[in-house]
Amino acid sequence: MGNFLSMLFTTDFFYSIFRISAPVLFATLGAVVVEKAGFANIGLEGMMMVSALFGSLSAYWSGSWLVGVLAAVLVGIFMGLFMGFFAFKLRTDVILTGIAVNMIGGGGTLFLVNVITNLTEGSAMASTTSLITQKLQIPTVEIPLLKSVPVLGPIFSGHSVLTYLAFFMVFCTWFMLYKTPLGLNIRSVGENPNAAASVGVSVSGIRYIAIAFSGAMAGFGGAFMSMYYSMGWSQDMVAGRGFIALAAQAMGNGEPLGSMLSALLFGFAQALGVKVSAVGVDSNLVSPIPYVVTILGLVVFALLARKRHRKKLVVK
Amino acid sequence: MTKKRSLLFSLVRSLCAIGIALLVATLLIFISAGGDSLGERLRTTGEALQQLLIGPLFRKSGAFNTKNFTDILAAMIPTIFTGLSVCVMFSANQFNMGVEGGCMLGAFVAAMCAVYVPMAAGLHPVFCVLMGAIVCGLMMLIPAVLKAKLNVSEMVSSLMLNYVILYIIKYFMNTYLSDKTKGSIQSYPFLDTAKIAPLVDNGSNLSVGFLVALVFVALTALFLYRTRWGYAIRMIGMNQSFAKYAGLPVAGTIILCQVVGGILAGLGGGIEMLGRYGTYNWGALPGYGWTGMTIAILAGNNPLFVPLAALFMAYLDKGCSLMSTYCGVPSQLISIIQAVIFLFFAAEQFLANYRQKLVVKSAREELAAREGGNGNG
Repeated sequence: MGNFLSMLFTTDFFYSIFRISAPVLFATLGAVVVEKAGFANIGLEGMMMVSALFGSLSAYWSGSWLVGVLAAVLVGIFMGLFMGFFAFKLRTDVILTGIAVNMIGGGGTLFLVNVITNLTEGSAMASTTSLITQKLQIPTVEIPLLKSVPVLGPIFSGHSVLTYLAFFMVFCTWFMLYKTPLGLNIRSVGENPNAAASVGVSVSGIRYIAIAFSGAMAGFGGAFMSMYYSMGWSQDMVAGRGFIALAAQAMGNGEPLGSMLSALLFGFAQALGVKVSAVGVDSNLVSPIPYVVTILGLVVFALLARKRHRKKLVVK
Repeated sequence: MTKKRSLLFSLVRSLCAIGIALLVATLLIFISAGGDSLGERLRTTGEALQQLLIGPLFRKSGAFNTKNFTDILAAMIPTIFTGLSVCVMFSANQFNMGVEGGCMLGAFVAAMCAVYVPMAAGLHPVFCVLMGAIVCGLMMLIPAVLKAKLNVSEMVSSLMLNYVILYIIKYFMNTYLSDKTKGSIQSYPFLDTAKIAPLVDNGSNLSVGFLVALVFVALTALFLYRTRWGYAIRMIGMNQSFAKYAGLPVAGTIILCQVVGGILAGLGGGIEMLGRYGTYNWGALPGYGWTGMTIAILAGNNPLFVPLAALFMAYLDKGCSLMSTYCGVPSQLISIIQAVIFLFFAAEQFLANYRQKLVVKSAREELAAREGGNGNG
């Protein structure tokens, strides 16, 4: 057992936690902002799928990873606005809108990849895995001083640009929500739309901004998935990360920092799974670990919240 | 608005939504159609559309295609059940997405009972399917109780459960239950007594399960509209606070509707498994849950419309697969069509202006009729 633990807790292992958490973290931040604006975006999963596809294709076409990432983000924003149009303009229940986006993300992307690659390649293939080469992968960065520090160096240095961006975005999202007028508007719309409207805040405008933001975050997450985490887009590659982001948001009580910790918990669970299956445990037994951890996390969080609530009542 | 007018409105609205979806489909088919010149492309598009819309029922010669028709009816069996399941849960505003995993769990449990529990011929399939339904109903207790007691989002927990169920079943299949003599991962064959009898013998796999599905449509409709539990479910869906202050057992009803939904999903999975297959070989989630959601939206959460919506979806599905076989258009087009229909059907404000006009017209007529009445009196 001790042997196993020493094998488990290597710098390698902690490095992989950050790598695995990053795409979930992006989506989680999207979920946080949308939730602050008063609704839930369950379409994150589908958004990530679609932007992952277009990100990898654009990178291939342009020969530049940066174009790929930007394309993925733009596609994400577009899908956010598309969802917003149906949810706010045509009054489709926002949850149902999300389900529809997930349908597009699930089967629609397969249709698109068939059609698009048929047009450009002349042969049918159900993934873009052969398109993203080492050259098109999102580059990694070595941090000058940190790099040479033992233990910390191998854990925190040498991540991809987007990994650092994901954690930087946690701060940005917090700053945006709590230190800018826009953030105040978003929170007030979420708290009480009528009150916000009465002081002249454009409620639907703020909601559009929130959902476009979550689209952009899903775009980053998708790009990370198809251009760094795996090389190219393939079917079901997001594998519920958009849904886990919703859980991480709930577990983190809707705050950027807490949600980041929840996303890291997911990353830890999955990194653990990878290690355990390397020892020889059946991968089908290991794969559900992150999902089980997520459910347990939700339960623990709900219990804690209830306890806190009771305490408050007693004090009053 | 008069009853006739509101019926007219919902009809026009539905047709518009379907029309828009088909328009989007046509556009996508045109983009994906092969061919060098525009004329050739248009021709392939036309052919593909013909396969999609007419192909499922009629041969090129114009003769009615009975085999395809029974295929479509057979495809409705699981989706009627998942559609009903979603109807019950969505009626109470419980957005439980576990139908997908529930369907798989029901199928798996039924299949295992069919392989390992010998029983008399008539009783065996009933037992297997019921076991699947019960296990699935129990599984749904997890998101249901978490929601009712701890206010954990049933949506998130049920989505997570889908993955857990998928992997656990795969684990059991790979490690303990698969027939090692076969190349692919599949269970030992079902005992002959467990199979659900076919309704017609033409290889369509249209089983007696179809009739059972129709019976359950009636039962679910009775449950939702003629029992006090159904009333509570619908009341919570309309206004949960009102239901609470009116003294309805909110927590109990939230649990009840998800368990009933789980039982229906499990039934669907089990009946599909024993009616169509001879061994258990699902390696991925079946997708019936998502189709069930579209069906429930099309049916407006009314169980009585579920068979109609299921027929429509099965027809489209068949059309899409014909289109991919004969015209090379990827069959996943169905998910885009499905998404578009979904969005427009659920859109409250879609064609709101038209509805407004109808309402105004009705009101004017009513007013005129009343004034006319006064003048006479």
